[in-house]
Amino acid sequence: MTTIPSIRRSLIAVAALMSSIASNAQAAETTYPLTLANCGRDVTFQKAPERAVSIGQSSTEIMYLLGLQNRMVGTAVWIGPVLEGYEEANAKVKRLADNDPSFESVLAEKPDVVTAQFQWHVGPEGVVAKPEQFEELGIPVYASPADCVGKDNTGGGDGVRYAVFTMELIYQEIAELAQIFNVQDRGEKLIAELRAREEAARKKVASANGKLSAVFWFSSAELDIDPYVAGRNGAPGYIMRALDIRNVIESDEEWPTVGWETIAKSDPTIIVAGKMERRRYPADDIALKHQFLRSDPVTNLMPAVRDGHVVEMDAQAMNPTIRTIEGIEVLAEAIAKSGLTQ
Amino acid sequence: MIGFANSLSRTGASLLALALLFAALWLGAAIGETAIPMDVVGRTIANRLWQAGYSLDPINEGVVWNYRLSRAVVAACCGSALALSGVVLQSLLRNHLADPYILGISAGASTGAVAVAILGFGAGLLTLPLGAFLGALLAFGLVSLLAMRAGRGHGAIILAGVAGSQLFNALTSLIVTKAANAEQSRAIMFWLLGNLSGVRWPDAWLAVPTAVTGLLVCLWHARALDAFTFGSEAAASLGIPVRRVYVVLIGASAMMTAAMVSIVGSIGFAGLVIPHAARMLVGIRHGLLLPASALIGAIFMIAADIVSRVIIPGQVLPIGVVTALVGAPAFAILLGRRGAAR
Amino acid sequence: MRLSACNVSWSKGGISILENVSLDVEPGEFLGIVGPNGSGKTSLMSLLAGLRRPKSGRILVDGRAIDRLSRREIAKRIALVEQQAETGERISARQAVELGRTPHLGALAPWSSKDDEIVDEALRNVDMERLAARLWHTLSGGERQRLHIARALAQQPQVLLLDEPTNHLDIGHQLGLLQLVRQQKLTAVAALHDLNHAAMFCDRIALMSGGRIVALGRPSDVLSGERIAAVFGIDVDVVREGGGRCQIRYRPPGAPVVEMPVLRRISS
Repeated sequence: MTTIPSIRRSLIAVAALMSSIASNAQAAETTYPLTLANCGRDVTFQKAPERAVSIGQSSTEIMYLLGLQNRMVGTAVWIGPVLEGYEEANAKVKRLADNDPSFESVLAEKPDVVTAQFQWHVGPEGVVAKPEQFEELGIPVYASPADCVGKDNTGGGDGVRYAVFTMELIYQEIAELAQIFNVQDRGEKLIAELRAREEAARKKVASANGKLSAVFWFSSAELDIDPYVAGRNGAPGYIMRALDIRNVIESDEEWPTVGWETIAKSDPTIIVAGKMERRRYPADDIALKHQFLRSDPVTNLMPAVRDGHVVEMDAQAMNPTIRTIEGIEVLAEAIAKSGLTQ
Repeated sequence: MIGFANSLSRTGASLLALALLFAALWLGAAIGETAIPMDVVGRTIANRLWQAGYSLDPINEGVVWNYRLSRAVVAACCGSALALSGVVLQSLLRNHLADPYILGISAGASTGAVAVAILGFGAGLLTLPLGAFLGALLAFGLVSLLAMRAGRGHGAIILAGVAGSQLFNALTSLIVTKAANAEQSRAIMFWLLGNLSGVRWPDAWLAVPTAVTGLLVCLWHARALDAFTFGSEAAASLGIPVRRVYVVLIGASAMMTAAMVSIVGSIGFAGLVIPHAARMLVGIRHGLLLPASALIGAIFMIAADIVSRVIIPGQVLPIGVVTALVGAPAFAILLGRRGAAR
Repeated sequence: MRLSACNVSWSKGGISILENVSLDVEPGEFLGIVGPNGSGKTSLMSLLAGLRRPKSGRILVDGRAIDRLSRREIAKRIALVEQQAETGERISARQAVELGRTPHLGALAPWSSKDDEIVDEALRNVDMERLAARLWHTLSGGERQRLHIARALAQQPQVLLLDEPTNHLDIGHQLGLLQLVRQQKLTAVAALHDLNHAAMFCDRIALMSGGRIVALGRPSDVLSGERIAAVFGIDVDVVREGGGRCQIRYRPPGAPVVEMPVLRRISS
């Protein structure tokens, strides 16, 4: 047993006391009926829901993280495999569709709440339904703030993000879902964990002193053609700001197409390449992305490519989801390992 | 004496034409999304063609040679091919509103492209350009069959082309609305409006022989095309094997257009307007009209590509938007001058 | 060069247009083909020009079947002036006539001064030299028709085929054109709708009805009151002049028959 100086011992004791008080202290209970302002509408819940349908992988995964799988009866819109560790939980919940579910298939599960990640699924121009359609049948709809706060979705499609995305929006979604389902203690715990992870990642790259720059490459319609890269306002923008990395792309669009000429000449220190299961475009395949970077006569001259600073990141982390935290961690880890912080 | 002066002026004119073409290619290599000093172009070409050994920033050199110059060359070939096809079709079909897409080629190429990109036809074996090419040929085959059944004459071909284009455009719309999400629709939209971003030297190895062969085939038939001035019966009585000329020239146009559309997407207006501009400059004799159209087409397309890259900083407009925005008013002016001249 | 039709038949859309037509065109003659609409005149011209293939029978050029010759070879021997040939192009009068040199030039052969001379002569022949630089659309119907003939002449054919060349022309131009054709030193075959014009200018006339040639010979031999009544359904008086010529006098429907004396030429 190591001896610990006495002052430290007392401090540890106080800390332990305080944390036990904290954990024993009850997180607030939700009082019903609960009315929330959500994406420009007021949504009211009469009681904690028991039959949730979740349309959108991120919202679904948040609910799994909150331990709500037993109160879910359907999921839809899956971009990749479920969060590691939650496969069993996921197996218990019926998958309505890999992509957009039909309005009736959602209704068939007789849900008492519908959660939606994207406004273009359930929103003013929603392809599944408008929220009013669900509300008319007494089903409240909760939409992720990440896709409506600071965004103009009236044009349909992806919408336009005019305010920057921050993880606060995801934390808001966690807190509000926890409130709706009356599991606020779990919500608080989850948020605290995520903040801690973010902070740890930030520390790893602090010594780089803001000298790093990066470009996030999602995919391209054809391999040689102008790629979809991250602008300033989306999740990658947040990841880069969190780690004090400069985004070489100065667009306010979420995913503008920018030519390789511009990217090469702006000389980013790091290229973050999106990895995904989807194979709609050849460039979806991370192996082909690497191959392109190495074989294209201009990109293979880029210092980032020559020095091997191409970081693979799950594409879901590049979207404003619960996985953005993973993105921050992956990038921080890669930077620390690569010696760029020296 | 007159003959000598004629041939001298003809040589002079040819040299001038070539000089203009080289100047346009030079500009296409010198101007782009990022600023690269003008002298880099000359030194790059010197380095690449005869190992002059100038020391240049490798990325600048790479961009100028591999991106910009190849793109300018392909743009020139595309402009020439579309203009030549336009001339040929306007003369053969005796309709000054004919353009290369009247044969259903652009519509078929779009359908082929979306089938590969959205429906996943060909399961990874078919690239988007190849799918587009096959779609173009399929549509052209269908239009030809329809035209043959519709009876003799150019009216039949035009009607068949309209029918075929409508059919394939409808198929494209069907696929896009049913199966595509916002991101795919955007990619397809970009492709449908023409896009030279992904062009590299291997594309030029297809584009240049196609354009040159097309030019030679058309020039060979210059006199035959003149003979169609008063109709196909008059042409036959002047000794032209009408059926064979139709097959060869329309076939050549179709191949040229399909190849170009598969490389760069469907760029409108060039095939329609450039023949008119050329006619105003050099007259209706095909011996002059064909090379003039090819040259004007080449320069026009290079210019359109330059404009599409620099007009909005940081963003590349689809080149089809530029050709339409320039082509439409130009067409209106041409029509006005024609009317006034009468 | 001798152009002949041997037992040619032709049909379109299941309807028989020409039945068993035989015709020998004498070298150097001006042969007129007359008949009502639908009698097959234009179709016969197309067949003679080698533009269409007869369903049965053959067209012969100097005894050889015409389909043995390439289009170019036919065009060097036979020129056709169609009923209607229009263009929207901004072509000049001279350029329109220059097209006539096409069969002689081929794809690569350059234009020579000899071609210029031939075109000049053709323009002189049709009296259009002054207007050579004018644009097509600024010319009148008669001027355009003369240019079509000039184009055919520039082809330097041995046989000139004309399909109703006097449509759309005023009387002065009609007569001038036919006189022009007659003056050329080539064989000419013209489908005409005016019987008097045929009678005035043609050496021989072929009278067609219902897809057949019902009479072939000198105008005064072919054109008789009975035949014209049978073919055209009108009553006429035929005034015969000497030398195979005659004149048709049309009777208004319902007028009585008048006996006309035979007028004799004093000198032939």
